[in-house]
Amino acid sequence: MTDAKQDDAVDPNAPVQGMDYFMQLEYHELLCPVVREFADALMDKRLIGHRCPSCGLVYSPPRGYCPICTVQTTKADEIEFQTRGIVTNYTVVTPVQYYGQEETEPFAKVSLQLDGGGNLSLQDLPDVPVEQVHPGMRVGIVWAPDGERHVDDVTNRSWGSAEGAIRGWKPTGEPDASPDEYSDKAF
Amino acid sequence: MTDDIAIVGYAQSPSWRQAELTEPQFLFPVISEAIERAGVDRREIGFTCAGSCDYLSGQTFAFVMNLEAVGAWPPISESHVEMDGAWALYEAWVRLQHGDIDTALVFGSGKSSPGLPSEIYPLQMDPYTLTPLGADPVSLAALQARAMLDAGKITEREMAETAARSRKNAIGNPYAQVTADDDPETLLKEPYVTAPLRRHDLPPISDGACAIVLATGDKAKALSKRPVWIRGIDHRMDIHQPGMRDLTESPSTRLAGEKAGVGTAKVEVAELSATFSYQEKLLCEELGLDDDVEVNPSGGALAANPVMAVGIARLAEAARQIAEHGKHRAVAHATSGQCLQQNLVAVLEGD
Repeated sequence: MTDAKQDDAVDPNAPVQGMDYFMQLEYHELLCPVVREFADALMDKRLIGHRCPSCGLVYSPPRGYCPICTVQTTKADEIEFQTRGIVTNYTVVTPVQYYGQEETEPFAKVSLQLDGGGNLSLQDLPDVPVEQVHPGMRVGIVWAPDGERHVDDVTNRSWGSAEGAIRGWKPTGEPDASPDEYSDKAF
Repeated sequence: MTDDIAIVGYAQSPSWRQAELTEPQFLFPVISEAIERAGVDRREIGFTCAGSCDYLSGQTFAFVMNLEAVGAWPPISESHVEMDGAWALYEAWVRLQHGDIDTALVFGSGKSSPGLPSEIYPLQMDPYTLTPLGADPVSLAALQARAMLDAGKITEREMAETAARSRKNAIGNPYAQVTADDDPETLLKEPYVTAPLRRHDLPPISDGACAIVLATGDKAKALSKRPVWIRGIDHRMDIHQPGMRDLTESPSTRLAGEKAGVGTAKVEVAELSATFSYQEKLLCEELGLDDDVEVNPSGGALAANPVMAVGIARLAEAARQIAEHGKHRAVAHATSGQCLQQNLVAVLEGD
Protein backbone atom coordinates (compact mmCIF):
# COMPACT_ATOMS: atom_id res chain seq x y z
CA MET A 1 0.00 0.00 0.00
CA THR A 2 1.35 3.44 -0.91
CA ASP A 3 1.62 6.35 1.48
CA ALA A 4 -0.98 8.25 -0.51
CA LYS A 5 -3.55 5.48 0.01
CA GLN A 6 -2.78 5.39 3.71
CA ASP A 7 -3.60 9.08 3.87
CA ASP A 8 -6.97 8.36 2.30
CA ALA A 9 -7.75 5.49 4.68
CA VAL A 10 -11.06 5.66 6.53
CA ASP A 11 -10.73 7.11 10.01
CA PRO A 12 -11.82 4.28 12.30
CA ASN A 13 -13.04 6.82 14.83
CA ALA A 14 -15.27 8.71 12.39
CA PRO A 15 -19.01 8.53 13.11
CA VAL A 16 -20.90 5.87 11.17
CA GLN A 17 -22.70 7.32 8.17
CA GLY A 18 -26.22 6.24 7.28
CA MET A 19 -28.22 6.49 4.10
CA ASP A 20 -31.90 6.22 3.25
CA TYR A 21 -32.96 3.51 0.83
CA PHE A 22 -36.54 3.86 -0.32
CA MET A 23 -38.18 1.12 -2.29
CA GLN A 24 -41.70 0.08 -3.11
CA LEU A 25 -43.30 -3.13 -4.24
CA GLU A 26 -46.49 -3.23 -6.28
CA TYR A 27 -48.91 -6.14 -6.22
CA HIS A 28 -51.80 -6.68 -8.57
CA GLU A 29 -54.14 -9.49 -7.63
CA LEU A 30 -57.28 -10.52 -9.51
CA LEU A 31 -60.48 -10.17 -7.52
CA CYS A 32 -61.59 -13.66 -6.57
CA PRO A 33 -65.11 -14.60 -7.73
CA VAL A 34 -66.86 -14.29 -4.36
CA VAL A 35 -65.39 -10.85 -3.67
CA ARG A 36 -66.26 -9.84 -7.24
CA GLU A 37 -69.88 -10.73 -6.43
CA PHE A 38 -69.65 -8.66 -3.22
CA ALA A 39 -68.30 -5.71 -5.24
CA ASP A 40 -70.97 -6.07 -7.94
CA ALA A 41 -73.63 -6.04 -5.21
CA LEU A 42 -72.17 -2.85 -3.73
CA MET A 43 -72.63 -1.16 -7.11
CA ASP A 44 -76.31 -2.19 -6.87
CA LYS A 45 -76.45 -0.74 -3.31
CA ARG A 46 -76.71 -4.19 -1.77
CA LEU A 47 -74.65 -5.78 1.01
CA ILE A 48 -74.15 -9.52 0.67
CA GLY A 49 -72.39 -12.35 2.45
CA HIS A 50 -72.35 -16.11 2.74
CA ARG A 51 -74.06 -18.06 5.49
CA CYS A 52 -72.26 -21.29 6.40
CA PRO A 53 -74.65 -24.17 5.62
CA SER A 54 -73.19 -26.11 8.51
CA CYS A 55 -72.94 -23.73 11.49
CA GLY A 56 -74.89 -20.69 10.29
CA LEU A 57 -72.06 -18.21 10.79
CA VAL A 58 -72.18 -15.34 8.34
CA TYR A 59 -69.20 -13.94 6.44
CA SER A 60 -69.10 -10.60 4.68
CA PRO A 61 -67.43 -10.19 2.32
CA PRO A 62 -67.93 -13.85 1.48
CA ARG A 63 -64.79 -15.99 1.63
CA GLY A 64 -66.02 -19.02 -0.24
CA TYR A 65 -65.61 -21.22 2.81
CA CYS A 66 -66.29 -21.39 6.53
CA PRO A 67 -62.94 -21.72 8.33
CA ILE A 68 -64.66 -23.05 11.46
CA CYS A 69 -66.42 -25.96 9.75
CA THR A 70 -63.98 -26.29 6.81
CA VAL A 71 -66.80 -26.44 4.33
CA GLN A 72 -66.91 -24.48 1.10
CA THR A 73 -69.67 -21.93 0.55
CA THR A 74 -71.17 -20.97 -2.80
CA LYS A 75 -73.68 -18.65 -4.43
CA ALA A 76 -76.37 -20.91 -2.92
CA ASP A 77 -75.27 -19.72 0.53
CA GLU A 78 -75.51 -16.04 -0.37
CA ILE A 79 -77.64 -13.79 1.81
CA GLU A 80 -78.42 -10.09 1.62
CA PHE A 81 -78.08 -7.87 4.66
CA GLN A 82 -80.07 -4.92 5.87
CA THR A 83 -78.26 -1.61 5.59
CA ARG A 84 -78.85 -0.61 9.21
CA GLY A 85 -77.02 -1.84 12.24
CA ILE A 86 -75.31 -1.34 15.57
CA VAL A 87 -71.75 -0.18 16.23
CA THR A 88 -70.24 -3.05 18.19
CA ASN A 89 -66.71 -1.77 18.55
CA TYR A 90 -64.35 0.86 17.23
CA THR A 91 -60.75 1.92 17.10
CA VAL A 92 -59.30 5.39 16.72
CA VAL A 93 -56.33 5.61 14.41
CA THR A 94 -53.93 8.45 15.15
CA PRO A 95 -51.78 8.82 12.06
CA VAL A 96 -48.02 8.82 12.53
CA GLN A 97 -46.44 10.86 9.79
CA TYR A 98 -44.24 8.12 8.41
CA TYR A 99 -43.09 8.31 4.79
CA GLY A 100 -46.08 7.78 2.53
CA GLN A 101 -48.74 8.47 5.18
CA GLU A 102 -51.59 10.48 3.68
CA GLU A 103 -53.87 10.82 6.73
CA THR A 104 -53.20 13.70 9.10
CA GLU A 105 -56.11 13.72 11.60
CA PRO A 106 -57.29 10.99 13.99
CA PHE A 107 -60.18 8.94 12.58
CA ALA A 108 -62.37 6.08 13.78
CA LYS A 109 -63.01 2.71 12.16
CA VAL A 110 -66.01 0.83 13.49
CA SER A 111 -67.31 -2.72 13.41
CA LEU A 112 -71.01 -3.15 12.71
CA GLN A 113 -73.57 -5.79 13.49
CA LEU A 114 -76.26 -5.47 10.85
CA ASP A 115 -79.94 -5.82 11.67
CA GLY A 116 -81.07 -9.33 10.81
CA GLY A 117 -77.50 -10.72 10.85
CA GLY A 118 -74.12 -10.07 9.30
CA ASN A 119 -71.10 -8.11 10.40
CA LEU A 120 -68.90 -5.58 8.67
CA SER A 121 -65.61 -4.23 9.92
CA LEU A 122 -63.45 -1.23 8.98
CA GLN A 123 -66.42 1.10 8.42
CA ASP A 124 -66.48 4.91 8.70
CA LEU A 125 -68.75 7.34 10.57
CA PRO A 126 -67.67 10.49 8.69
CA ASP A 127 -70.10 12.91 10.38
CA VAL A 128 -69.47 11.77 13.95
CA PRO A 129 -66.66 13.45 15.91
CA VAL A 130 -64.12 10.81 16.92
CA GLU A 131 -64.71 11.38 20.65
CA GLN A 132 -68.43 10.65 20.23
CA VAL A 133 -68.03 7.24 18.60
CA HIS A 134 -69.14 4.49 20.96
CA PRO A 135 -70.53 0.96 20.93
CA GLY A 136 -74.31 0.67 20.76
CA MET A 137 -74.84 3.51 18.28
CA ARG A 138 -77.56 2.73 15.75
CA VAL A 139 -76.52 3.70 12.24
CA GLY A 140 -77.68 3.48 8.65
CA ILE A 141 -75.67 3.28 5.45
CA VAL A 142 -74.85 6.27 3.26
CA TRP A 143 -74.12 5.06 -0.26
CA ALA A 144 -71.87 7.02 -2.53
CA PRO A 145 -74.15 8.65 -5.12
CA ASP A 146 -74.86 7.07 -8.51
CA GLY A 147 -72.17 8.07 -10.94
CA GLU A 148 -69.59 8.47 -8.17
CA ARG A 149 -69.96 5.02 -6.68
CA HIS A 150 -67.07 2.68 -7.46
CA VAL A 151 -65.39 -0.45 -6.10
CA ASP A 152 -61.84 0.26 -7.22
CA ASP A 153 -60.61 -0.05 -3.62
CA VAL A 154 -62.27 -3.40 -2.99
CA THR A 155 -59.64 -6.12 -2.93
CA ASN A 156 -59.44 -9.71 -1.73
CA ARG A 157 -57.92 -8.30 1.45
CA SER A 158 -60.09 -5.25 2.18
CA TRP A 159 -62.23 -7.03 4.76
CA GLY A 160 -65.45 -5.20 3.89
CA SER A 161 -63.85 -1.77 3.63
CA ALA A 162 -65.34 -0.19 0.50
CA GLU A 163 -64.99 3.55 0.75
CA GLY A 164 -65.65 4.08 -2.96
CA ALA A 165 -69.12 2.57 -2.61
CA ILE A 166 -70.04 3.23 1.02
CA ARG A 167 -69.61 6.89 1.90
CA GLY A 168 -70.03 5.87 5.53
CA TRP A 169 -72.69 5.31 8.15
CA LYS A 170 -74.73 7.93 9.98
CA PRO A 171 -76.58 7.78 13.31
CA THR A 172 -80.31 7.15 12.99
CA GLY A 173 -81.06 9.17 16.10
CA GLU A 174 -82.63 6.19 17.86
CA PRO A 175 -81.57 5.34 21.43
CA ASP A 176 -78.44 3.22 21.75
CA ALA A 177 -78.80 -0.54 21.59
CA SER A 178 -78.45 -2.47 24.82
CA PRO A 179 -75.07 -4.21 25.19
CA ASP A 180 -77.03 -7.48 25.43
CA GLU A 181 -77.83 -7.09 21.73
CA TYR A 182 -74.22 -7.10 20.56
CA SER A 183 -71.73 -7.72 23.37
CA ASP A 184 -70.94 -11.32 22.37
CA LYS A 185 -70.50 -10.38 18.73
CA ALA A 186 -68.12 -7.45 19.03
CA PHE A 187 -64.96 -7.69 16.96
CA MET B 1 -36.34 -41.55 18.30
CA THR B 2 -39.03 -42.63 15.89
CA ASP B 3 -37.46 -44.03 12.73
CA ASP B 4 -40.61 -44.88 10.87
CA ILE B 5 -42.39 -41.85 9.47
CA ALA B 6 -44.35 -42.14 6.25
CA ILE B 7 -46.17 -40.02 3.72
CA VAL B 8 -49.76 -41.33 3.79
CA GLY B 9 -51.54 -38.65 1.78
CA TYR B 10 -50.73 -35.90 -0.69
CA ALA B 11 -52.50 -33.46 -2.97
CA GLN B 12 -51.66 -30.56 -5.23
CA SER B 13 -53.43 -27.71 -6.93
CA PRO B 14 -52.84 -27.06 -10.59
CA SER B 15 -50.01 -24.64 -11.27
CA TRP B 16 -51.53 -21.41 -12.58
CA ARG B 17 -49.81 -18.46 -14.25
CA GLN B 18 -52.31 -16.22 -12.47
CA ALA B 19 -54.73 -17.79 -10.03
CA GLU B 20 -58.14 -16.18 -9.74
CA LEU B 21 -58.63 -17.66 -6.29
CA THR B 22 -56.94 -16.38 -3.15
CA GLU B 23 -54.23 -18.47 -1.53
CA PRO B 24 -56.49 -19.80 1.27
CA GLN B 25 -59.20 -20.50 -1.32
CA PHE B 26 -56.99 -22.72 -3.48
CA LEU B 27 -55.33 -24.27 -0.43
CA PHE B 28 -58.71 -25.31 0.91
CA PRO B 29 -59.46 -28.22 -1.47
CA VAL B 30 -55.79 -29.27 -1.57
CA ILE B 31 -55.62 -29.72 2.18
CA SER B 32 -58.99 -31.44 2.28
CA GLU B 33 -57.92 -33.86 -0.48
CA ALA B 34 -54.62 -34.72 1.25
CA ILE B 35 -56.45 -35.43 4.50
CA GLU B 36 -59.11 -37.50 2.72
CA ARG B 37 -56.50 -39.52 0.86
CA ALA B 38 -54.73 -40.19 4.14
CA GLY B 39 -58.03 -41.37 5.61
CA VAL B 40 -57.35 -39.53 8.84
CA ASP B 41 -59.84 -37.53 10.90
CA ARG B 42 -58.89 -33.87 10.52
CA ARG B 43 -59.39 -33.30 14.26
CA GLU B 44 -56.94 -36.07 15.15
CA ILE B 45 -53.99 -34.49 13.34
CA GLY B 46 -51.37 -33.81 16.02
CA PHE B 47 -49.37 -31.06 14.36
CA THR B 48 -49.71 -28.75 11.39
CA CYS B 49 -46.89 -26.87 9.71
CA ALA B 50 -47.10 -24.49 6.74
CA GLY B 51 -44.57 -22.93 4.41
CA SER B 52 -45.29 -19.65 2.64
CA CYS B 53 -43.85 -16.18 2.11
CA ASP B 54 -45.56 -12.94 3.08
CA TYR B 55 -43.33 -11.00 0.68
CA LEU B 56 -44.74 -13.02 -2.20
CA SER B 57 -48.30 -12.43 -1.00
CA GLY B 58 -47.63 -8.76 -0.32
CA GLN B 59 -49.43 -8.88 2.99
CA THR B 60 -48.16 -9.09 6.53
CA PHE B 61 -49.43 -12.20 8.32
CA ALA B 62 -50.75 -13.64 5.08
CA PHE B 63 -49.65 -17.01 6.46
CA VAL B 64 -52.26 -16.67 9.22
CA MET B 65 -54.98 -16.33 6.60
CA ASN B 66 -53.80 -19.60 5.09
CA LEU B 67 -54.75 -21.36 8.33
CA GLU B 68 -58.38 -20.74 7.38
CA ALA B 69 -57.95 -23.59 4.91
CA VAL B 70 -56.82 -25.98 7.65
CA GLY B 71 -59.68 -25.98 10.12
CA ALA B 72 -58.03 -24.40 13.11
CA TRP B 73 -61.01 -24.37 15.47
CA PRO B 74 -60.96 -25.59 18.19
CA PRO B 75 -57.35 -24.36 18.36
CA ILE B 76 -54.71 -26.67 16.90
CA SER B 77 -50.99 -27.09 17.41
CA GLU B 78 -49.36 -25.45 14.43
CA SER B 79 -46.26 -23.74 13.15
CA HIS B 80 -45.07 -21.91 10.07
CA VAL B 81 -41.81 -21.57 8.19
CA GLU B 82 -41.10 -18.67 5.88
CA MET B 83 -39.74 -21.30 3.49
CA ASP B 84 -40.87 -23.87 0.99
CA GLY B 85 -43.32 -26.41 2.40
CA ALA B 86 -40.54 -29.02 2.17
CA TRP B 87 -39.03 -27.39 5.25
CA ALA B 88 -42.44 -27.41 6.92
CA LEU B 89 -42.39 -31.15 6.30
CA TYR B 90 -38.93 -31.31 7.86
CA GLU B 91 -40.17 -29.47 10.97
CA ALA B 92 -43.11 -31.87 11.25
CA TRP B 93 -40.74 -34.83 10.79
CA VAL B 94 -38.71 -33.51 13.75
CA ARG B 95 -41.88 -32.88 15.76
CA LEU B 96 -43.06 -36.45 15.16
CA GLN B 97 -39.79 -37.74 16.68
CA HIS B 98 -41.17 -36.74 20.08
CA GLY B 99 -43.44 -39.76 19.87
CA ASP B 100 -46.42 -38.15 21.59
CA ILE B 101 -48.36 -37.58 18.35
CA ASP B 102 -48.73 -39.85 15.35
CA THR B 103 -49.94 -37.63 12.50
CA ALA B 104 -49.00 -34.29 10.98
CA LEU B 105 -50.29 -32.10 8.15
CA VAL B 106 -47.79 -30.03 6.17
CA PHE B 107 -48.32 -27.76 3.22
CA GLY B 108 -46.72 -25.11 1.08
CA SER B 109 -48.43 -22.42 -0.96
CA GLY B 110 -47.67 -19.27 -2.84
CA LYS B 111 -48.89 -16.77 -5.40
CA SER B 112 -45.99 -15.38 -7.40
CA SER B 113 -48.30 -13.69 -9.91
CA PRO B 114 -49.38 -10.54 -8.01
CA GLY B 115 -45.88 -9.12 -7.60
CA LEU B 116 -42.76 -8.94 -9.72
CA PRO B 117 -40.31 -11.70 -8.73
CA SER B 118 -37.44 -9.63 -10.10
CA GLU B 119 -38.28 -6.93 -7.53
CA ILE B 120 -39.26 -9.13 -4.62
CA TYR B 121 -36.40 -11.63 -4.60
CA PRO B 122 -33.57 -9.13 -4.24
CA LEU B 123 -35.02 -8.41 -0.81
CA GLN B 124 -33.90 -11.85 0.40
CA MET B 125 -30.30 -10.95 -0.46
CA ASP B 126 -27.70 -9.27 1.71
CA PRO B 127 -29.20 -5.79 2.21
CA TYR B 128 -25.95 -3.84 1.88
CA THR B 129 -24.52 -4.91 -1.43
CA LEU B 130 -26.94 -7.20 -3.29
CA THR B 131 -30.44 -5.86 -2.54
CA PRO B 132 -29.59 -2.33 -3.74
CA LEU B 133 -28.14 -3.88 -6.90
CA GLY B 134 -31.44 -5.60 -7.57
CA ALA B 135 -29.76 -9.01 -7.69
CA ASP B 136 -32.67 -11.07 -9.03
CA PRO B 137 -32.96 -14.85 -9.47
CA VAL B 138 -32.61 -14.90 -13.25
CA SER B 139 -29.46 -12.75 -13.23
CA LEU B 140 -27.90 -14.82 -10.46
CA ALA B 141 -28.84 -18.06 -12.20
CA ALA B 142 -27.30 -16.74 -15.41
CA LEU B 143 -24.04 -16.15 -13.52
CA GLN B 144 -24.15 -19.71 -12.19
CA ALA B 145 -24.95 -21.14 -15.62
CA ARG B 146 -22.09 -19.12 -17.13
CA ALA B 147 -19.70 -20.43 -14.47
CA MET B 148 -20.73 -24.01 -15.28
CA LEU B 149 -20.39 -23.46 -19.03
CA ASP B 150 -16.96 -21.90 -18.59
CA ALA B 151 -15.88 -24.80 -16.39
CA GLY B 152 -17.01 -27.28 -19.04
CA LYS B 153 -19.50 -28.83 -16.63
CA ILE B 154 -22.48 -28.37 -18.94
CA THR B 155 -23.37 -27.29 -22.45
CA GLU B 156 -26.25 -25.18 -23.72
CA ARG B 157 -27.41 -28.25 -25.63
CA GLU B 158 -27.62 -30.28 -22.42
CA MET B 159 -29.63 -27.44 -20.85
CA ALA B 160 -32.05 -27.46 -23.78
CA GLU B 161 -32.32 -31.25 -23.60
CA THR B 162 -33.23 -31.04 -19.91
CA ALA B 163 -35.88 -28.41 -20.64
CA ALA B 164 -37.33 -30.40 -23.55
CA ARG B 165 -37.53 -33.59 -21.49
CA SER B 166 -39.16 -31.73 -18.56
CA ARG B 167 -41.80 -30.19 -20.77
CA LYS B 168 -42.48 -33.52 -22.44
CA ASN B 169 -42.74 -35.37 -19.13
CA ALA B 170 -45.17 -32.70 -17.93
CA ILE B 171 -47.65 -33.57 -20.68
CA GLY B 172 -49.01 -36.36 -18.48
CA ASN B 173 -49.06 -34.23 -15.33
CA PRO B 174 -52.44 -32.57 -14.68
CA TYR B 175 -50.83 -30.08 -12.28
CA ALA B 176 -48.21 -28.83 -14.74
CA GLN B 177 -48.23 -25.40 -16.33
CA VAL B 178 -45.69 -25.70 -19.16
CA THR B 179 -46.08 -28.70 -21.42
CA ALA B 180 -44.62 -29.16 -24.88
CA ASP B 181 -43.03 -31.67 -27.20
CA ASP B 182 -40.05 -29.59 -28.26
CA ASP B 183 -36.95 -30.49 -30.21
CA PRO B 184 -33.87 -29.27 -28.29
CA GLU B 185 -32.46 -28.11 -31.62
CA THR B 186 -35.42 -25.77 -32.06
CA LEU B 187 -35.15 -24.50 -28.50
CA LEU B 188 -31.51 -23.60 -29.05
CA LYS B 189 -32.54 -21.22 -31.84
CA GLU B 190 -34.47 -19.05 -29.39
CA PRO B 191 -32.88 -15.79 -28.25
CA TYR B 192 -31.35 -15.38 -24.83
CA VAL B 193 -33.48 -13.86 -22.06
CA THR B 194 -30.43 -13.25 -19.89
CA ALA B 195 -27.40 -14.88 -21.47
CA PRO B 196 -26.69 -17.76 -21.33
CA LEU B 197 -30.29 -18.53 -20.32
CA ARG B 198 -33.08 -18.86 -22.84
CA ARG B 199 -36.74 -18.90 -21.97
CA HIS B 200 -36.81 -22.70 -21.70
CA ASP B 201 -34.01 -22.57 -19.12
CA LEU B 202 -36.23 -20.55 -16.80
CA PRO B 203 -39.08 -21.78 -14.60
CA PRO B 204 -42.57 -20.43 -15.19
CA ILE B 205 -44.11 -17.90 -12.80
CA SER B 206 -46.70 -19.92 -10.95
CA ASP B 207 -49.36 -19.85 -8.27
CA GLY B 208 -50.19 -23.09 -6.46
CA ALA B 209 -50.17 -25.29 -3.40
CA CYS B 210 -49.27 -28.77 -2.21
CA ALA B 211 -50.12 -30.64 1.00
CA ILE B 212 -48.83 -33.86 2.56
CA VAL B 213 -50.00 -35.91 5.54
CA LEU B 214 -47.37 -37.75 7.60
CA ALA B 215 -47.93 -40.59 10.05
CA THR B 216 -45.68 -42.65 12.28
CA GLY B 217 -45.11 -46.43 12.32
CA ASP B 218 -48.24 -48.40 13.15
CA LYS B 219 -50.51 -45.43 12.47
CA ALA B 220 -49.10 -45.17 8.95
CA LYS B 221 -49.64 -48.90 8.38
CA ALA B 222 -53.20 -48.64 9.68
CA LEU B 223 -54.00 -45.65 7.46
CA SER B 224 -52.32 -46.66 4.22
CA LYS B 225 -51.96 -49.82 2.18
CA ARG B 226 -48.82 -48.37 0.67
CA PRO B 227 -47.16 -45.93 3.06
CA VAL B 228 -44.13 -44.14 1.63
CA TRP B 229 -41.45 -44.21 4.29
CA ILE B 230 -39.08 -41.30 4.76
CA ARG B 231 -35.86 -43.28 5.22
CA GLY B 232 -33.64 -40.23 5.42
CA ILE B 233 -34.04 -36.46 5.30
CA ASP B 234 -31.48 -33.70 5.76
CA HIS B 235 -30.96 -30.09 4.79
CA ARG B 236 -27.78 -28.05 4.53
CA MET B 237 -26.83 -24.62 3.31
CA ASP B 238 -23.94 -22.91 1.61
CA ILE B 239 -22.72 -19.41 2.35
CA HIS B 240 -25.19 -16.68 1.39
CA GLN B 241 -22.88 -14.51 -0.70
CA PRO B 242 -22.83 -16.07 -4.18
CA GLY B 243 -19.44 -14.45 -4.80
CA MET B 244 -17.87 -16.35 -1.94
CA ARG B 245 -18.47 -19.87 -3.20
CA ASP B 246 -17.76 -21.96 -6.27
CA LEU B 247 -21.04 -21.74 -8.16
CA THR B 248 -20.18 -24.83 -10.19
CA GLU B 249 -20.62 -27.01 -7.13
CA SER B 250 -23.32 -27.56 -4.54
CA PRO B 251 -21.61 -28.95 -1.46
CA SER B 252 -24.76 -28.49 0.62
CA THR B 253 -26.67 -30.79 -1.75
CA ARG B 254 -23.85 -33.34 -1.62
CA LEU B 255 -23.75 -33.30 2.18
CA ALA B 256 -27.54 -33.43 2.57
CA GLY B 257 -27.62 -36.36 0.14
CA GLU B 258 -24.96 -38.21 2.09
CA LYS B 259 -26.71 -37.60 5.42
CA ALA B 260 -30.06 -38.70 3.96
CA GLY B 261 -28.44 -41.91 2.70
CA VAL B 262 -29.03 -41.47 -1.02
CA GLY B 263 -26.07 -43.67 -1.97
CA THR B 264 -26.77 -46.61 0.33
CA ALA B 265 -28.99 -48.38 -2.20
CA LYS B 266 -30.20 -48.14 -5.78
CA VAL B 267 -32.29 -45.04 -6.59
CA GLU B 268 -34.97 -45.56 -9.25
CA VAL B 269 -36.46 -42.11 -9.57
CA ALA B 270 -35.67 -38.58 -8.43
CA GLU B 271 -37.78 -35.44 -8.22
CA LEU B 272 -35.40 -32.49 -8.08
CA SER B 273 -36.12 -28.78 -7.58
CA ALA B 274 -34.02 -27.71 -10.53
CA THR B 275 -35.70 -24.36 -11.03
CA PHE B 276 -33.27 -23.56 -13.83
CA SER B 277 -32.40 -26.14 -16.48
CA TYR B 278 -28.64 -26.30 -15.81
CA GLN B 279 -29.22 -27.13 -12.12
CA GLU B 280 -30.55 -30.62 -12.83
CA LYS B 281 -27.23 -32.02 -14.01
CA LEU B 282 -25.39 -30.35 -11.12
CA LEU B 283 -27.84 -31.84 -8.61
CA CYS B 284 -27.63 -35.32 -10.16
CA GLU B 285 -23.85 -35.22 -9.89
CA GLU B 286 -23.81 -33.94 -6.31
CA LEU B 287 -26.33 -36.62 -5.31
CA GLY B 288 -24.36 -39.31 -7.13
CA LEU B 289 -27.38 -40.41 -9.20
CA ASP B 290 -26.63 -42.91 -11.96
CA ASP B 291 -27.51 -42.15 -15.56
CA ASP B 292 -30.39 -44.64 -15.47
CA VAL B 293 -32.24 -42.81 -12.69
CA GLU B 294 -35.51 -41.39 -13.97
CA VAL B 295 -35.35 -37.66 -13.21
CA ASN B 296 -38.42 -35.47 -12.81
CA PRO B 297 -41.09 -37.69 -14.38
CA SER B 298 -43.59 -34.99 -13.35
CA GLY B 299 -41.78 -32.37 -15.43
CA GLY B 300 -40.31 -30.81 -12.32
CA ALA B 301 -39.90 -27.14 -11.54
CA LEU B 302 -39.40 -26.17 -15.19
CA ALA B 303 -43.00 -27.25 -15.82
CA ALA B 304 -44.58 -25.84 -12.64
CA ASN B 305 -42.91 -23.51 -10.17
CA PRO B 306 -45.34 -22.50 -7.43
CA VAL B 307 -42.72 -20.93 -5.18
CA MET B 308 -43.07 -22.17 -1.57
CA ALA B 309 -44.87 -25.29 -2.84
CA VAL B 310 -42.51 -26.46 -5.60
CA GLY B 311 -40.18 -28.23 -3.15
CA ILE B 312 -42.86 -30.04 -1.17
CA ALA B 313 -44.41 -30.95 -4.51
CA ARG B 314 -41.19 -32.84 -5.33
CA LEU B 315 -41.77 -34.91 -2.17
CA ALA B 316 -45.38 -35.50 -3.22
CA GLU B 317 -44.36 -36.50 -6.76
CA ALA B 318 -41.61 -38.80 -5.49
CA ALA B 319 -44.12 -40.37 -3.10
CA ARG B 320 -46.55 -40.78 -6.01
CA GLN B 321 -43.91 -42.76 -7.93
CA ILE B 322 -43.82 -45.25 -5.06
CA ALA B 323 -47.49 -45.28 -4.05
CA GLU B 324 -48.98 -45.24 -7.56
CA HIS B 325 -46.29 -46.26 -10.06
CA GLY B 326 -44.66 -49.26 -8.42
CA LYS B 327 -41.26 -47.72 -7.74
CA HIS B 328 -39.47 -48.78 -4.57
CA ARG B 329 -36.87 -46.10 -3.83
CA ALA B 330 -36.99 -42.42 -4.71
CA VAL B 331 -35.10 -39.23 -3.94
CA ALA B 332 -36.78 -35.84 -3.48
CA HIS B 333 -34.94 -32.52 -3.39
CA ALA B 334 -36.00 -28.99 -2.49
CA THR B 335 -34.02 -25.79 -2.65
CA SER B 336 -34.18 -22.34 -1.17
CA GLY B 337 -32.32 -19.10 -1.80
CA GLN B 338 -30.28 -18.14 -4.84
CA CYS B 339 -28.15 -20.47 -6.95
CA LEU B 340 -29.01 -23.59 -4.91
CA GLN B 341 -27.85 -21.99 -1.67
CA GLN B 342 -29.85 -24.22 0.67
CA ASN B 343 -30.87 -27.77 -0.14
CA LEU B 344 -33.06 -30.45 1.37
CA VAL B 345 -32.81 -34.09 0.34
CA ALA B 346 -35.13 -36.92 1.30
CA VAL B 347 -34.97 -40.63 0.54
CA LEU B 348 -38.36 -42.30 0.19
CA GLU B 349 -39.05 -46.04 0.09
CA GLY B 350 -42.01 -48.34 -0.25
CA ASP B 351 -42.41 -51.44 1.90
